[in-house]
Amino acid sequence: MSKTSLFAFVAVPLLLASCIAAEQDNTECDIEEVSLHLDSPIDFFFHEYDTLQTVISTETDIVFTIRSYANIQSVPLSLRITEGASIYMISEDGTETPFLSGSSVDFSNEKVYRFRVVSEDKAWSRNYSISVVHDKPSEGNLFIDYESYHLDASGKYYVWDAPEVFPDATWKNGNPGFKISKSSAKPMDYPSTPAAGAGPDGSDCVKLETCDTGPFGRMANMRLASGSMFNGIFDVGNALTAPLEATLMGSPYTHKPIQVRIWLRYERGSVFQDRDGKPVEGVVDEPDFYIVFYRNEDAEGNKVQLNGGDILTNPNIVGLGRLPHHYNSDGSDQLSNDPIHGVTDEWQEFTIPVVYTSVIDATILENKGYSIAFGSASSWQGGYFAGAIGSKLYMDNLHLYCE
Amino acid sequence: MKHILYTIVALFVFAASTQAQEKDSWEKWGPTPGLKGGGFIARVGYVLGGTTPIPLPAEVRKVNGFSPRGGISLGIDGYKMFTKRWGVSTGAHFFWEGFHTNADVKNYYVWLEQEGEVTKGYFTGTNVTSTEMWGVTLPLLATFRMSPRWNVSAGPYLSLYFHQTFSGEVFDNDEGIGYLREDTPIGTKILMTRENPTPYPDNFPEKMQPVALGIEFAFDWKAMKHMNVFGLLDWGMTDIWDRNFEAITFKMYPIYATVGLAYRY
Repeated sequence: MSKTSLFAFVAVPLLLASCIAAEQDNTECDIEEVSLHLDSPIDFFFHEYDTLQTVISTETDIVFTIRSYANIQSVPLSLRITEGASIYMISEDGTETPFLSGSSVDFSNEKVYRFRVVSEDKAWSRNYSISVVHDKPSEGNLFIDYESYHLDASGKYYVWDAPEVFPDATWKNGNPGFKISKSSAKPMDYPSTPAAGAGPDGSDCVKLETCDTGPFGRMANMRLASGSMFNGIFDVGNALTAPLEATLMGSPYTHKPIQVRIWLRYERGSVFQDRDGKPVEGVVDEPDFYIVFYRNEDAEGNKVQLNGGDILTNPNIVGLGRLPHHYNSDGSDQLSNDPIHGVTDEWQEFTIPVVYTSVIDATILENKGYSIAFGSASSWQGGYFAGAIGSKLYMDNLHLYCE
Repeated sequence: MKHILYTIVALFVFAASTQAQEKDSWEKWGPTPGLKGGGFIARVGYVLGGTTPIPLPAEVRKVNGFSPRGGISLGIDGYKMFTKRWGVSTGAHFFWEGFHTNADVKNYYVWLEQEGEVTKGYFTGTNVTSTEMWGVTLPLLATFRMSPRWNVSAGPYLSLYFHQTFSGEVFDNDEGIGYLREDTPIGTKILMTRENPTPYPDNFPEKMQPVALGIEFAFDWKAMKHMNVFGLLDWGMTDIWDRNFEAITFKMYPIYATVGLAYRY
């Protein structure tokens, strides 16, 4: 018997089993990218890059912000959607008409357009809104009492309203990422939760707690989640692959911050663990709170948005204020057992001045060329999945003072 | 079922094509004690195959790679011929078999549970799977002697597994596409990359059935007075997974072939 025959005997069933079936139609129906086409965008927008938005999968309300005095009328609107999907514009009476990407749309009077994207297999659809709004000038100074919060659309975790000067006017945190790893968690089991009546004045405050991420967290080598609160975007799509980069911090701001005053209280978790979950001797957990002011455009006009990896080190930073910590000689964070942040388990008001390393350009400032970022965490090394489970940072009554 | 028929037909055609060359006497190659006698066959073989859904679900778009794992079979069979042409055989084949595969999938439903936590949704990207099984197969075969030197056999078998592994991970494909849509195809899109692949939970082997039933097809060619060249195919008919295991929505069947040499008495 020849070798070929033997091979045929083995190969026949394998070949039979390995026939690839016909590809099925796509089931997804996302708007992936939206852009407006203007001859001179800078007359309308603060940055050239503001005419194009990449839409993350959790976002359905797409808002472009133009200068307060600008008036945008008919403008070609380009939408990139999932391959094979179709898109319809929904009129006020609910009728749907197919929308051809690149068609002109009249965005005057801040009119909100509604769209429905239908998947190639017709089984799924998603609704979106697209609008162009005018910039709302801010006075600069802010007072945030964290009293305005509600459950998110899934009902799984809390979200907090942020000042309207921030895009989409909500605070961001790692709660959406925690939801992926701990599906069983109740809203109050999440790392960032409200604490009713627990503030220094007896009103509601925010509680950030470092939580165990459970079996899926261990599987992904992300064993804990620090409570956090920041302004910007949490791109949950990157939460598993690039967690630091998923935390996109900062919002354009037209005032120069001078200092922040905030009430803080800290309960330290007992055992500081490293990324592998091993206890680290001689190190205690620390909270973090900082304010960063940075240039949000590079020399080529590209958007600069700092993330969890470079929020304290990026060369575009012009001003920085942070709770005191120990640092190594190269400037990196130094773990220790004698922290100097001064936050105790009694409420105290902290004053954190913004220290400037560059001169602020008034014209750039006026044109939203700088972004302000507030960051806070129950474990200051939480971005690297190190900290003490059970550490709790309570925050309330943030005052921002600007020049 | 159609596949099995094809396989049987292929086997017979193949065997018949070589039969013409046979000029040997039945007695010369017959069972040692005589044409209606019995005996035993000790087998050493190489096992090759896979554990696969049949047919492949449409979610599997491309098989990038396949390699066997393990691949050793040691067996002993007893046989008895009732007539010149017909007989039965039974025995025990100890095996270590398995495979590793790398496939591109689209919209592949995954449902992962660990300690009460559930992650589920639709994955598009590359899926890598490895499985190994140690066990014993107990066949009960009818044997047909086609010619003095050719025997073919077929019949049911029962496999008992002593140890099973099933592991794998998901990440992006060669085009850089790798993501899970949480819960539904319009849920949150969570990217997955090969720099940080997401492994299967380690509780998959606990969800595997400890026994399997199937049909075995075999041939023996009497190469020398006491030595056979043999081939056999174990076609699993029962799903390898527990009925209530939701992580994999389709049934998977073990289909393994063995080729080797046997001592015949």
